[in-house]
Amino acid sequence: MATESLKYLNPDSETEVKTKVFPRPGQNTKGIINWLTTIDHKKIGIMYGMAALFFLILGGLEALLIRSQLWNHNMDVLTNREYNQMFTMHGTTMVFLVIMPLSAAFFNFIMPLQIGARDVAFPRMNTLSLWCFIAGGIVLNLSWFFTGGSPAIGWFGYAPLTDTRFAEVLGDMGPDFWIFSLQILGLASLLASFNFITTIINMRAPGMTMMRLPVFTWMTLIVSFLIILAFPAITIALVELMFDRTYGTNFYDFLEGGKPHLWQHLFWIFGHPEVYILILPAMGIVSEIIPVFSRKPLFGYGLIIFSGAIIGFMGFAVWSHHMFTTGMGIVATSAFSILTMLIAIPTGVKIFNWIGTMWGGRIRFETPMLFALGFITMFMVGGFTGIMHSSVPIDAQHQDSYFVVAHFHYVLIGGALFGLFAGFYFWLPKLTGKMLNEKLGKFVFTLMFIGFNLTFFPMHYLGMIGQPRRTHSYNEGHGFETWNQIATIGAFILGVGIVIGVYQFVTAAFNKKLKPAGKNPWDARTLEWTLSSPVKEYNFARTPIIKARDQAWENNYGPEENHSQKEPLDDHGVHMPDRSWYPLITGLGFLGLVLGMLFHQSVDVNTGEIIRNYTPAIAGGVVAILGIIMWAIEGPAGYHLFPKEDEE
Amino acid sequence: MSEASAHAIDHHEPVTSTGIPNKKVLMWAFLGSDCMFFGTLISTHLIYRKISATVGGNFLDIRDIFDIELTSFSTFILLASSLFMALAVSAIHKGNLNSTRWMLFGTIVFGAIFLACQVYEFTHFVHAPGNELTLSSYRGEPHVFGSTFYVLTGTHGTHVAIGVFWLIGWLIYSFTGKMSTADAMDIECCGLYWHFVDIVWILIFPVVYLMEYAF
Amino acid sequence: MKILFTKLQTKYFIIFPALILFFGGCSRIDHKQSALDPKGLVSQNQYDIFMLSVWITIFLFCAVGGCLLYVLWKYRAKTPEEAMEVPPQSHGNSKVEVSLIIASTVILVILAIPTLQGVVLMNRVPDPNDASTLEKLDLNRSAIDNAITVNVTGKRFFWVFEYPQYGIVTANELVFPTSRAVRINLRTEDVIHSFWLPKLAGKMDLMPGQENFLWFIADQDKIITRTDDNGNKIKTSIDEAMPSVFNGQMRERIFAKQKFTDEFEAVGGLFYGQCAEYCGNSHAYMSFRALAQTDEDFDSWVKKFQNAQNPNLQPSSYNPENEYNKGSLVSFPDKSLGDSDVREFRAVKTISKGQAPNLAKKEWVKANSDDYEKGKKLFSSLQCVQCHAINRTGLGSKGPNLTLFGIRTSLAAGWMRNDEENLVKWLKNSNDVKFGNLMWNGEGVDDTHPLRNLENEDEKVNQLVTYLLGLK
Repeated sequence: MATESLKYLNPDSETEVKTKVFPRPGQNTKGIINWLTTIDHKKIGIMYGMAALFFLILGGLEALLIRSQLWNHNMDVLTNREYNQMFTMHGTTMVFLVIMPLSAAFFNFIMPLQIGARDVAFPRMNTLSLWCFIAGGIVLNLSWFFTGGSPAIGWFGYAPLTDTRFAEVLGDMGPDFWIFSLQILGLASLLASFNFITTIINMRAPGMTMMRLPVFTWMTLIVSFLIILAFPAITIALVELMFDRTYGTNFYDFLEGGKPHLWQHLFWIFGHPEVYILILPAMGIVSEIIPVFSRKPLFGYGLIIFSGAIIGFMGFAVWSHHMFTTGMGIVATSAFSILTMLIAIPTGVKIFNWIGTMWGGRIRFETPMLFALGFITMFMVGGFTGIMHSSVPIDAQHQDSYFVVAHFHYVLIGGALFGLFAGFYFWLPKLTGKMLNEKLGKFVFTLMFIGFNLTFFPMHYLGMIGQPRRTHSYNEGHGFETWNQIATIGAFILGVGIVIGVYQFVTAAFNKKLKPAGKNPWDARTLEWTLSSPVKEYNFARTPIIKARDQAWENNYGPEENHSQKEPLDDHGVHMPDRSWYPLITGLGFLGLVLGMLFHQSVDVNTGEIIRNYTPAIAGGVVAILGIIMWAIEGPAGYHLFPKEDEE
Repeated sequence: MSEASAHAIDHHEPVTSTGIPNKKVLMWAFLGSDCMFFGTLISTHLIYRKISATVGGNFLDIRDIFDIELTSFSTFILLASSLFMALAVSAIHKGNLNSTRWMLFGTIVFGAIFLACQVYEFTHFVHAPGNELTLSSYRGEPHVFGSTFYVLTGTHGTHVAIGVFWLIGWLIYSFTGKMSTADAMDIECCGLYWHFVDIVWILIFPVVYLMEYAF
Repeated sequence: MKILFTKLQTKYFIIFPALILFFGGCSRIDHKQSALDPKGLVSQNQYDIFMLSVWITIFLFCAVGGCLLYVLWKYRAKTPEEAMEVPPQSHGNSKVEVSLIIASTVILVILAIPTLQGVVLMNRVPDPNDASTLEKLDLNRSAIDNAITVNVTGKRFFWVFEYPQYGIVTANELVFPTSRAVRINLRTEDVIHSFWLPKLAGKMDLMPGQENFLWFIADQDKIITRTDDNGNKIKTSIDEAMPSVFNGQMRERIFAKQKFTDEFEAVGGLFYGQCAEYCGNSHAYMSFRALAQTDEDFDSWVKKFQNAQNPNLQPSSYNPENEYNKGSLVSFPDKSLGDSDVREFRAVKTISKGQAPNLAKKEWVKANSDDYEKGKKLFSSLQCVQCHAINRTGLGSKGPNLTLFGIRTSLAAGWMRNDEENLVKWLKNSNDVKFGNLMWNGEGVDDTHPLRNLENEDEKVNQLVTYLLGLK
């Protein structure tokens, strides 16, 4: 990969390996070791994406089982407990193992390219967050195989249903798996967010001021802040729950002084910002795509950024609108009701501005744009039903009915997932160097759009005529059957669409029939489109000097003074940090720690007493700590590459 | 410490957009997040403040179990350790290796004294005759004070312990002969962490030990 | 809503409005549990605000969506050449942005005002001394003054309804008068449940360690109005819409007029409710009924229940020292049932002292059939009585109170119709009907429990059924 330029007299491209244990794989490592030890943000992004797409299929299968069970009244596809496990796992999987990591995949891959950086600030930490995410996914899904099966507590895990006192299977381990997988997933999200914040604040190319940052990067920054401020609440709530379940504390045990209400507050102080953590990346993606396919800059860039920040900020002040029916009293419900209505304003601003962007443009309807337009329309529907829920009297009927299910699927599939799919169709050419099949893409969009609306639009009506959420069965005579059948058919259509889409993404790199993409196939606007597709290992051969927002566009169409320049090549080339085993080892250590904690309790057959054995947990912890120490000792190290001036 | 392996390739800190080193931004972001961790724990404790004031239906001042003198002493020790930490950072900036070493040592010792006080306190409370405070009960009655107290102060203690181990790492490193002013920034990050943990204790001390538990 | 045809991409756009029309056009709104068919003051208020929000959002959707459509149509790139043109690069227009923000704020205010009024209405029964509010709400002062209180306790997976004013307890069927406000105090003994009565009151959670509140008042006019098959509103008589519960007419009318599964109930006074907060395995099966009554019928029902649950009015053992009036009930050993068994006898005429029940003299008759008496005995011997209270309030019981079970309309927390056939099915294997129910799976119930061995005991089951349905 390193092309020696005449300019360099004495390139030492391979560094000497110092550590004896787990020697660092060298620069030219290939195959599986390359992927296991990589610290390249692009490879990490790809792995995030692949794992998340796998979990998307898994969570989708769970959804289809749920829909099959609801095909008709009193169906027997699943038992009630299996059904409850399905919706718990479906919710948890889709939120923590699909939408968040898919966003993280884009953050990883795209954000450093957009700000003109060669990698994120802490590449090895980035790898660690990937392995923590995968460990979390493994732990959550391991629950199927142990006592009690998967958790049947809902993705929200309301106390006191999670208390051992109310377990419906003796020694149910499901909630424990749920707790520990969320903890380790939280760790992954926190590490990634610290990294992104540092990267965006500190590693921008010269001239890339904050107000020149692409909107997607801005949303990355806002989401990262939301994560580091919101996740502590759930982490502590889960710690308290873990203590309740394992060591008999009374945080949520109302029979011994605790308050189940507390869990709901802590959960939603995290949970509501989480909603914006899920939707803002998709908004960022759409804010990138619409200008490109309208050939106009984003309308009201400052206002979009500002409204994103306001949404993020206010997201912390509206959590109790999930709890209108818990009896908080007139004052609290009214206050949260009004605050929730206010948050609709910055959200509306974004929609106005997207339409303003298209106004007067030259609109092309290619697949990414179709998904972006699908996002706008369906997010609008989800947003409007959201306004309805902000009104307490309306919520008194809607809460925990299918109306709410319709609402948040409009936001999370119609919104987040469509936005992320738009991102895939938009950026995969940059990733693979090949254009995706446009016809197939449009077919996928058509299937997903039809399937999605067939599934979720009838749910508004079902909710209004009284179908409650999270019920594995319904009786005859409520008039639920027809609409549930339509929804089920829609769900299968949506499923087929998603499977074809995922197939298209996964095979994009290997499909030889696809046309090459070139540097800038869409005539797009931001910095990543000045690079070759696929992007070189070092991203930028020379650090760009940014002169304007939408730099790629300005380079093509802007006045001379707005064209970007490049820093001169310096003598020792491009420094690339070395690959490392330690993130993987540390990740495995955490996995061991978590599994050790999960299985540390056993019951003495003779005395019936609880025996605690912490050895495996401690062993896991020691591996993790050793991994971190070795990591610190080995340092970033690295090797140098010598690209030609324009080889990027 | 990560700059430990001095390499053929020079590893000067890259120039950053803000001029603040990456690690420091990372540390500030982490501390922001950590504020929320402690914020959640302290809120939990405060929410249960009223419930903590009764045991088995009878009102009582649960602070009776505390030994305020001991805790004031350990608070003072922890604050004093912050001074050592600040001096250590200042010394490494000046390149005074010997002084850095001693100041780090002082911080570690004071941190360890604080931890010892806490361990003593915990064991004392659990076994106090007639006044046993466990995770789940007080005087044998189911109670929530033990839960919030141990988990809140325990989390803080864990933070102190992590800090102590981190400092021990630096102390060991200082004997390898590789320590230089180039490490000043890393030690400063460590110092930021240490000061933060102290400040959190200044918040926890009145909230847990001084404030009245009553309706 | 969104039909887009461009020369290039005709077929890739979806016909959104058709979907909306399709979904909206052919659905009735008066289903059993529909929030779109309010029959009370509070739910009507909730419905009105909902419809306001629906119109607001339809307006917004049309405005914004129309704008979007217009833009997509007007500015579409018609040819590949046009797609490569560079339009003017405008960056925004602060006047447009500010005015849109102001406009959306105004729209939110329109929704916020009724919302705040609604919050107060939901949470507080209007003050009876506040004449202007009562007038605005079209309420009688007496409806508030005479409000009844019901303490609802949620248990996995059924409901306990306690009427503290009357000292009676029932389960799963809430009987209430239409002319009076109903205050509901919500409590739970295990996990969180939610009391959802869509046509009357919306919902409120039952939080452990906390008492929540909800109230409603039914609207008799709306109850007796129903929509016929052609969509016309017709008024039925009060008697037809709200048959009396206490004498079993409600049960008879429901069973006679329609199948359990009929989609649109002819009996307007029958309401369906449901637990709306996930509470465990059988959460779906945790439903209940609310039965509207006229004042007189409600009072009769209360009286009947009070008598049934009054320990002083239970048949006592025959005492030769007493004189018995005509119609008195006594219990007395009857060898025909079993060696040590007693049965109930009713006096045919006034009985003087020392006249022990003797069927030959025709002074006493058997109060109940043999099957009933055997069923009653089985109810104890099969350990049913450990969880179910009959003819006592039994607030601490694990299972639903079965007092006057014979006049109940539904079985298994509102899941089935309470008739012989279903009761047999339920008793033989309740797990088949309601998988995971606590009668089958609860603490202390295993394969040796007599309840689990009724599958082939037709006789015992029939006796139990006779007994239970005979409780009226």
